[in-house]
Amino acid sequence: MKKFVLFIFVLPLLIYSQTKINVNHKYQELKCKTCHSCDIPTKEKPCLIECPRDKMVSVTQKPEDGPEILTINKIKFENDLYKPVTFTHRLHAEMSDMAGGCKMCHHYNPPGKIIGCIDCHQIERNRIDISKPDLKGAYHQQCMNCHRQWSGKVECESCHELNSSQKSENQKTINSSKKMHPKIEVPAIIKYETPKTKGNLVLFLHNEHIKTFSLDCQNCHSNESCNKCHYKFNPKPEKLKSTLEKHLKCSNCHNTKSNCSFCHSNNPQREFNHFARTGFDISNYHVKLTCQRCHIEKGKFTGLVSDCSSCHGVWSKSNFKHTVVGLQLDETHNEFDCTECHQEKNYKRPGCKNCHEDKTYPKEKPGKLVKK
Amino acid sequence: MANQTRRNFIKTSALITSATIGLTNKSKAAPKYILSEDRMGVLVDTTVCIGCRKCEWACKVEHNLPTSAIETYDDRSVFNEKRRPNDKALTVVNEYPNDYSDKFPINVKVQCMHCDKPACLSACIVGAFSKHENGAVTWDTSKCIGCRYCMVACPFQIPAFEFEKALKPDIKKCDFCYEQRTSKGKLPACVEICPVEAITFGRREDLIKTARQKIKIYPNRYINRIFGEYEVGGTSWLYLASKEFEKLDFPKLGKDPAPGVSEAIQHGIFAYFVPPVALYALLGGIMWINKNKKSKEKEQEK
Repeated sequence: MKKFVLFIFVLPLLIYSQTKINVNHKYQELKCKTCHSCDIPTKEKPCLIECPRDKMVSVTQKPEDGPEILTINKIKFENDLYKPVTFTHRLHAEMSDMAGGCKMCHHYNPPGKIIGCIDCHQIERNRIDISKPDLKGAYHQQCMNCHRQWSGKVECESCHELNSSQKSENQKTINSSKKMHPKIEVPAIIKYETPKTKGNLVLFLHNEHIKTFSLDCQNCHSNESCNKCHYKFNPKPEKLKSTLEKHLKCSNCHNTKSNCSFCHSNNPQREFNHFARTGFDISNYHVKLTCQRCHIEKGKFTGLVSDCSSCHGVWSKSNFKHTVVGLQLDETHNEFDCTECHQEKNYKRPGCKNCHEDKTYPKEKPGKLVKK
Repeated sequence: MANQTRRNFIKTSALITSATIGLTNKSKAAPKYILSEDRMGVLVDTTVCIGCRKCEWACKVEHNLPTSAIETYDDRSVFNEKRRPNDKALTVVNEYPNDYSDKFPINVKVQCMHCDKPACLSACIVGAFSKHENGAVTWDTSKCIGCRYCMVACPFQIPAFEFEKALKPDIKKCDFCYEQRTSKGKLPACVEICPVEAITFGRREDLIKTARQKIKIYPNRYINRIFGEYEVGGTSWLYLASKEFEKLDFPKLGKDPAPGVSEAIQHGIFAYFVPPVALYALLGGIMWINKNKKSKEKEQEK
């Protein structure tokens, strides 16, 4: 009996030791968005998604993660005129990529699992709580919002088949499941010609914006109707916009009221250079980082202190490997505190004058060069 | 009683008459119907309506009116002209341009508003109309004498008359589906069929709350007014719109109930029967004077 009790106590330990998890999940094969809902999780605001997270579809995921086809048959009445709709969910999700993503239809979704329309909208139309539409109304309002923009048609039969029709449902499902929205090509650079006399060209480095600010399409392309690209039903050009409207997308981050020459010029612009703009060179050690790693607050790119300690804390012998910079310190110099040589806060050039009167860096080095 | 003096008799009789006048006065001013707090209504959100006209079809089927097949209602050319409800269509949908988007025209459903203080009811000389506890304004065909006063009185010009029928013509208007549906707790036919639930059936108070909430959340979508909340003393059907209601052919109406004017005149003319009696007394007086004059003239001639 004693042995058995001991075994019971030891068993969990044994199991634990065998399945020890790598604590630093950064190196696990996980997508950040599986657990975090925001782009840059911090210790203070981890913005964790509710459990269980495995195989869960959230509003931040890609169209492929959702279901391919859905039959909307939650609302059924005795004398329905029309058959339930076969909804090509994947195709519609792909289409919504440039207009607001999943959130376009799955509005007010709490962080975490995507919930269906039925979880909020009641099936029964004759109800007490009339603050939100019933399920049938909710479905149709969502559909009609885009379909009216697309073709202006409101006929039931553009989506539904008459209940009396003999067409088999399966055929339609098979046909529509093959449909895919072609991948939208991402332009590298967009050249805008403006009526401005001083600086009539604006070169928008589209790709670079995506890369440096790690943007999703929806960050800029929201509420865009299909007609923006498809002129099938909407051949006439859009009405002239006001200056304010034209700059709306840019003015989210740029100051468009003054400093026109920042974007407008007669010659194409050069690419973004962090050192030239801010005086802080990121080409050496910070080149692989996304902007948001340091510029945590979205849309705010000023006010960061360039001292190393503002992000890295105080460096000491124990937490800094000097070989990273390409120089292995010799035994003598390895004993010193960092600040003995690096008097400046940016740890740039070491000063040798404290100990050596006749030596200067980089002529003489306190160790040997190694590969970075 | 034996001790009763002349003075006392006059006093008591004056008291009794004034009391009876006071009582009758009260009973005349009391409404013929009681407005229930739980009276129902319908909120029409014209920004949601897509103009599919399924409500028109459902209404005709419900009221056994002749109708074409449901597919024919997809024809949008009917919107080229503004239509009015009549004896063959108790509700119609009209279309108005949207200044901001061609793709989203404004569709407005028109039918009886089911006023809280119905002018038709007060105008009806045979008392055929009634306002029910659930808000519906209906009429009793068996009482109707076809005077068509209700048509004249209605501030929305809704009641229609079957002019084409030679025998037993009837008044026709939206009846809130009272007999078959709403009196039994069911939805009106138009509300039930609406695919987008642009028309919501519920307690009038709740509808106003919901409408206020909508205006608050989407201030750019709606103008800050619920048509029917106060118009002519309030109506059961309420409307939300993105554009001034007058531009959508809604009549410009004050807050005072429409019956107020007509009732004041009518009751003024017939109040306690004093004006008619006074009129006849005046006429009688003139006649008497004239008669006197004539007899005097005759005497002089003699």
